[in-house]
Formats: sequence, structure tokens, C-alpha cells
Amino acid sequence: MGGSVSKIMGKIFGTKEMRILMLGLDAAGKTTILYKLKLTNQDVTTIPTVGFNVESVTYKNVKFNVWDVGGQDKIRPLWRHYYSGTQGLIFVVDSSDTTRLEEARSELHKIINDREMKDALLLVFANKQDVPGHLSPDEITSALQLHKIKDKTWYVAPSVATDGTGIFEGLAWLSNNVKTSQSPPK
Amino acid sequence: MSVTLPIRTSGDASSNRPKSNGLPHLSPAPSISQKPSPRSSQTSAQHSGDQRASLPKTKRRRCKSQYPRDSPERHVEFILVASFHIDRGPIMEHQYPGPISSDESMLAELMLPDQTHVRSQDWTMFFLHKDSGAEGEEEEQAGIKKKKKKKKRKDDLADATSDDGEGENDLDDESEEVTEGEQSSDEEDGGEGPPLMYVLNLVNTKQDNTVKRGAVVKAMAICTRHSFLHIYKPILLLALEDYFKSPYPDTLETLYNAVNAMDLSLMPRLNLLERQILQASNSKDMFIEKFEQMIEQRRTEDDELTETDEDNPPSPKKTSASPRYVLPRDTHEFESKIIYHDIPIPVKVPTVIWPEIVGDFSLVKLIQIFSAPHAATPQPFPLHSHLTTSGAYTHPIIVLVNAMLTQKRVIFLGHNRPSGEVAEAVLAACALASGGILRGFTRHAFPYTDLTKIDDLLRVPGFIAGVTNPTFANHPEWWDVLCDLPTGRIKISNHIEPAPVTDGLLYFQQQSPISVVGPNSDPTGDNLFMEDVLRSIANRYGENAIRAKWRAYITKFTRVAAAFEETVYGASNIYIIGPNEEITPESPSGLQADPADPTTLRGHGYVWPDESAKQRELMASVSRIEGWRTTRSYYSFIQDIAAMYYPARPILKPDLHHHHDRLRTLKLPPAEAGAIYVSFSHAIKDDAGICQLLTVTPESQAGLFYLAMGLLHPNQTVREATADLLERIALHPAGRHFWAQLNRFAKTAYFRIKRERDARDAGSLKSASDSFGPPQSLVGVAMSGVRSHGS
Repeated sequence: MGGSVSKIMGKIFGTKEMRILMLGLDAAGKTTILYKLKLTNQDVTTIPTVGFNVESVTYKNVKFNVWDVGGQDKIRPLWRHYYSGTQGLIFVVDSSDTTRLEEARSELHKIINDREMKDALLLVFANKQDVPGHLSPDEITSALQLHKIKDKTWYVAPSVATDGTGIFEGLAWLSNNVKTSQSPPK
Repeated sequence: MSVTLPIRTSGDASSNRPKSNGLPHLSPAPSISQKPSPRSSQTSAQHSGDQRASLPKTKRRRCKSQYPRDSPERHVEFILVASFHIDRGPIMEHQYPGPISSDESMLAELMLPDQTHVRSQDWTMFFLHKDSGAEGEEEEQAGIKKKKKKKKRKDDLADATSDDGEGENDLDDESEEVTEGEQSSDEEDGGEGPPLMYVLNLVNTKQDNTVKRGAVVKAMAICTRHSFLHIYKPILLLALEDYFKSPYPDTLETLYNAVNAMDLSLMPRLNLLERQILQASNSKDMFIEKFEQMIEQRRTEDDELTETDEDNPPSPKKTSASPRYVLPRDTHEFESKIIYHDIPIPVKVPTVIWPEIVGDFSLVKLIQIFSAPHAATPQPFPLHSHLTTSGAYTHPIIVLVNAMLTQKRVIFLGHNRPSGEVAEAVLAACALASGGILRGFTRHAFPYTDLTKIDDLLRVPGFIAGVTNPTFANHPEWWDVLCDLPTGRIKISNHIEPAPVTDGLLYFQQQSPISVVGPNSDPTGDNLFMEDVLRSIANRYGENAIRAKWRAYITKFTRVAAAFEETVYGASNIYIIGPNEEITPESPSGLQADPADPTTLRGHGYVWPDESAKQRELMASVSRIEGWRTTRSYYSFIQDIAAMYYPARPILKPDLHHHHDRLRTLKLPPAEAGAIYVSFSHAIKDDAGICQLLTVTPESQAGLFYLAMGLLHPNQTVREATADLLERIALHPAGRHFWAQLNRFAKTAYFRIKRERDARDAGSLKSASDSFGPPQSLVGVAMSGVRSHGS
């Protein structure tokens, strides 16, 4: 009942629904970001994700269904099963883990070159901006070679997942850029 | 599987598999009492460690153990431990006694189910097999095990006959039965490859601030060939706890030794008919005699052992006195214990094990989950002739069963549910579709699986899988039917293949183009059946009652399918015609072929009240029967039918099931009913025959009530024949329970008939004016109840 009412309201006021896939290397902070979005003002402690998490978060009239998938290299081949129907990709990078930036770059390019992801927006969280020795968003941009990307809207947002800094700004960018038509990719 | 199969036994089809086609090949000749033992000639030197058996025996046939003490087969074959490594993902830590497979990572992934990090404890189950390329592990392993296990299965099969006819069989060791089972072994496996290894897995997630990233996730698994693997749950809890404290192979070894020391050797082995009777019965002491005999035998053995050799491994049994052996409180289960670190953990092992019944699922739960939302707000299904057999509002459980019977790809999705819950649903679904009768479901079931196996999964035609990852719902091209556990809704995929048009379909379209299926009609009887099941659940009938109903449902399905095949194709692959049968419309059911022999009563198969009812039901069932006729479970069933023909039918004529159904469902004129009673009384003389009769008169279907009606028959001969039969049943170890449940009215009639006859006998010297059968004294009957094979 309540669900159907809000669906009708959604039709009237244009609530959008967006399927978001959040990926990144292990220990980048994906699960922390997800639960910080979900449980805005609480402290979040996470343990390694076995498999995936999925939560819906409503922000600025957009209902985000966010999928957070575990990042250990052995389970990365599974990411592709989550691509179909995804409208936005959040790629989380540990800005302080400079040794693995190359690995992150290669994974990211693998994802966005997939046919099923060609229409998805790309938001990169340059996470762990509070850790000494971190790189700036610009440095992350060049390390990930984002300028090479053609035909894709992308944005790099600095964030500190543990205290929530920057993550809603990232979501705002997603909701502003998502195409008004809710049609999933062909 | 399914290589070049589709064979049809229509009139023209030249069957390329004469054996499974069966009908004329299985010799109709001998009734069980004279049946020569096919393996008496092979009794020779094979049995090695069975000298004991040749020692002086009790007067009765020796009762064999389901799990003999000297069996080389272990209860548990492997213990595994895996953990989630924060850098590498799932890894295998230890395997005992040795590595189970080359693909460790695959196993480790299965042992650490999705989202295990959000709960502190989770159970899963999965099966290992080498099959259709899916789960392609344990290549080498399987080769070895195949032989061993094949033998075991042959035993199971052969054993069905072994207790029945042959005296010399007492000495048998297993090695012998192999030879007998040989020719049927391939059918028995259904060409399905090696048997399954069941894995019960427990995973724990422990928050621990001292380790990197704050948690330790470890899983321990027990690999066994027992389908009752749930008995290991308590011990696995203890052992995994121990492993967290001491993560070394020693912990695995302790567990391994403990579970393998479990003693089930006092559990008697029952033959096929006895198993059916026990399963259908609620009596807690059904076949208690066999348990008594096992204990008796063991005591004798113990005495001999203490005197003679000491070659047995030191067992606690020997030293302690005999009173340690206790009879089970309920013969449906055998109570034993596992001693782990000096803690005795009680376990209950089911006496009767059916194919496809694995673990401790609940049909009641499964049915409730998918019935409640349907009852509240029914949603129409998109039509698919295999699935929606009662239209768009077919009950979801029927859709599920249809999907399994016609070998669709079925997924159970339980997002945010423990993986143990989806595994249970999968196992319950297998049991639902199998009824313990059809096979080929668990072999293609993946009680828990995840995305890592998706490519393998999709290579399996018609699977049943349990998942927790909701991404499966976004891929309708992966499944045909999706059962969502949290919402209790079943979805039919829009990618599902349409049902092909088949001969049977065309046949019925030509036969009667008018198919009037109104919204209220229920030609398949499924609506009525589901109502009955739901009412039984609401009235708190137990799980067993519900399983019995499904068993009956699947039995009926196979019998209707047999009738369908006879109608459409002229003969059926799944019914073996008895010796005095012929399929011609000119010999109606109930016709006595040989006037001198009352047992030559014609007729077989399912009974409908009239021809139009039959046509209606067949027409309504065409699609799913035709859908079923190309599946694995259908082909295995053909083989099972052939393999079980003799074990399950000591009485070849008349068709007991058919004629009892006629008594039960039809209003027969006295003469026809009388012919059935007389025929039964003539045919059913011995132990095995009575067992067969009891399988068609389960308690849930009023037991002996319809038979006892013969006591009230107008004809005295019929009354007395019925009384004789009931007397034999009453003296039979299993039959006595059925007799006890018979109503007082029938018993009064019985005693009146006995009195009348005694009075008459006393009056006139010519004893027993029976026009049929040899006169039998009470003593003779009593003896035949015990020995049964004198004649």
C-alpha cells in the first residue's frame, strides 16, 4: 500500500530510480561508503565483504540502489555479472595506496570498456583523503588516465568515507547527470 | 545425459533400448515362492571377511545391517576447512585425510557463501559430482569412488529381493550381490555418472579487533555419502569452535575419527516393500522385530567373539554387557551417538532412505512460503503449457513442481537470507518433485551456489539452484522459473522456451477439439489437491503426512502418465504389463482371463470413475506429461521400473494396486467386487505378497478398510476368502499393525465369519467347503506368517 502510494508520488514528482554499481580494489572503502550513505550519522566499521552488499538510499528525490561488490582480485571476474542495467559506476580508490594505483587503473578501464557499461556514468571517489601521503583528486585523475576516456561522463570526488566527507557531493553529481529517461541501457 | 535419447514406444518405434522398454522381456513366469535364486550359483569364494555368518544360525533368516561394522565405507570421507583471506579471498586451509579435489578455490568459494560477513553463523550444503562439466572437480577422485559406490547402490537394489525369496541368501556378503545387480547396474545409475558426495558446511564470522580488517571468517565442512547429513550439525558446531582455538590438522583428525566411529551396525536392512510400508506408517514399532533380531544376532556374535578370535578392532561393545543394546523408541529412526572429546552427541538416523531426499528440509515450510502470498493476492502467471496447467492462476507450488518435472531451470533466491535457508528450499523442492520416486533432481541441484559458478551452472540443462545474490533476478536469461523466498512469489522468465508441439498434444487435439476448461473446473485435480494439502498443514498434520501426500501425488502422476502413453502410443514405457495382461480395449478391467484361476483378473494402472473422466484428466495433463517424457527423471524412471519389477511385485497377477483402487474409488457390482476379494485371497499368501498389499493400503488411505468390506459381501465364499486373507495379514509382522487399526465393525464381522465357519466345520465332516485354495489350519497360517516360504 505505502509502496504503491510512493510509486504514484514518484510518477507525479519525478522520483528517479538509479542502479549504481560500486567497485574498486579490496580495502578501498566501498562498504564503508555504502553504509555511510545508508546510516548517515553513525559510525561505520566494516569487515571484508564476502560476495556483495546491496542497499537502497534515497537522496535528492533519487532512489539509488547501490551494489557494493567485494574487491579481492580473485573475485573480480564476477563484477561483470552486475553490469547489465547499471546506470552509474562508482569506482572507489584508496588515494593513499599509491603502489596499487596502476592495478586500480587497469581494473577500471576493463570495466568501462565493457559493452554493457558504455552508458553508465562514472564517479570516482578519491577516498581516504585523511590518510597522510594521499594523492589529490587531480593526481588520481591522471594516475587513472581518465582523460583518455572518450564518450563517457566522469567525475572525481575527494572523500573520507569514515566521516562521510564528500560522499553525498558525489551522489549529487550522479543524480544531476543521470538521464531523465529511466530507460536502462539497451 | 540426454545424448540421443528420445525413444517412444509407440507401435512403430523400433526401440533401440530393448531392456528398458521391458515389457515382454521380463519373464512373467515364477511367483516369488518358487523363484529360483538367480545368484545361488554364485555363492562361492567371494566373501572374505564373513566367516561369522557361516556359524550356526538362528532359525530365522539372518537380518542384515544397513551399515555393517566391517564395511569399508566410511561415514565421512573428508573434512575441509576454508577461510576468507583479506587479500586473496576464499582459500582452503586444510583438508583431511587428504586433498579432496584439485580445484580448491572452487570449494573454498562454496564454503564461504555470499554475505557471510553480515551474519555470525551460516550453514550451507552443496553436492560434489563430476557431471556435465558442471562442478567439474574431483575428476580423479570420482573414478575411484565410482566403483565403490556403484557397488553400494547395487546392494541397495539387490537387497530388495534378497530378503524375500532365498534361503541361501543368508550367507551373502555384499560382494555377491554385486554380481546379481550387475546387469541392472547401468540402469540403476541412470547413466548419470558417479554418485553424489554431500557436503555440510558451517561458516563462522568472528569480529576480532586484533586482526587486520577486524574479522576472521572460517568454514568447516563434512563430506559424506549419507543423505542424512544434517545429523552432523551439532558436532560441526563444536569442531569449528575448536578449530578457531587450534587451527591445525589435528582438530580435523579428531573430528574425522569421531564421526567415523559412529556405530549404525544394529540398524536392520529393509527391503523395498518394507521400506515403503514403514515410511507410510505412523506406528512407532513397525518392524521392531527386525531391530530385536539384530540385537539378538549381535549378542550371539559377541559371545562367539569373546570365545574365539579377536580380529575385530577393539570395540567398546565387546567389553560391556549386552544390556547396552536398546530398541529404538521409534523404528523410523535409529538412535546412535558420536563421541567427540568425550562428549556423547546423540544422533538419529532415518531407517528408510529414499532417493532424492537429502538433509532436513521441510515441505510444509516450502509450501507455506509460496502459498500465503498467492492466497492473499493471487497474481496471474504468463501462460506456459508445461507450467500453468490450471491456467494463469495455477497454484505456485504446482507451477514449481511442473517446472521441475519438465526439467526447467529453477532458482531459489533468498536475498538477505542465510544461505542455509535457500539450500533447504532447494532440497525441499527436489523432494517435492521426486516424491522419493522420481530421480534426477538432486543430481542437478545446487543447494547453494553463487556468481562464481554461473558459467558452469548455465551449462546444466534444467537445474535447481539456491542463491542469495539478487543479481540473479536481473538475469532472466539465466533461469526459467525464479522462486523468491522473501516475497514468496514465483516468476516465470520471459526468456523461457515455449513448449514444443508433440504427438500426444496433436492426438488429443484431434480426439476432442472441444476443450471446455472453465474457470471453475479442475481437470487435473491439482486445485483440489493443493486445497487438501493446505488444509492438512493448517490442521497441523506433520511433515510426514505432507510428504506422504506428495508421494501419492507423484505416484499418481506416473500412473496417469502410463495411462496416457497407452492411450496415445499404444504402450507405456513406465508400466510393465503383468503376465496375464494384454493391452486391448476388448479386455476390460475385471475380466477373469482363466475361469479356473481367480488370480487372472485383468486390468492394470490408474483407475478413473468413467471414460470421460479419464479423457478429461489426460487431456489436461498432456502438456506436462509430454514435457516430462523427454527429461532425465523420465528416463531414470523407466530404468527404475524395470529394475524394481520383481522386488516390488512379488505378486505379478492380479495388479493389486489397480484392483484395490477399483474397490476404493468405484461402486462395483457385488460380483465384480467379489472377484477381486477372491482373487486377492488366492494370490496373497506369503510374507512378500502381504507386504506388497500393504503398500497399496497405507494408513493415510484408510488402511485395510476397503479390503475388510469383503467381510460384508453377500456371497459367503467371498466373505470367507476375505476373512482368510485378513487372518494372514493379522499374523504378519507388519500386517498386524494394519489389522489393529481396522475398525471394530469390521473386526466383529471377521469374528462372526470365523465362528460361523467353525460351527459349520464342526457340524459336517467334509472340511472347509472352499471351492478354491487348499484348506489352511490356523496353525499353518501362523507358521506361514513367520517362515513364509515353506510351500
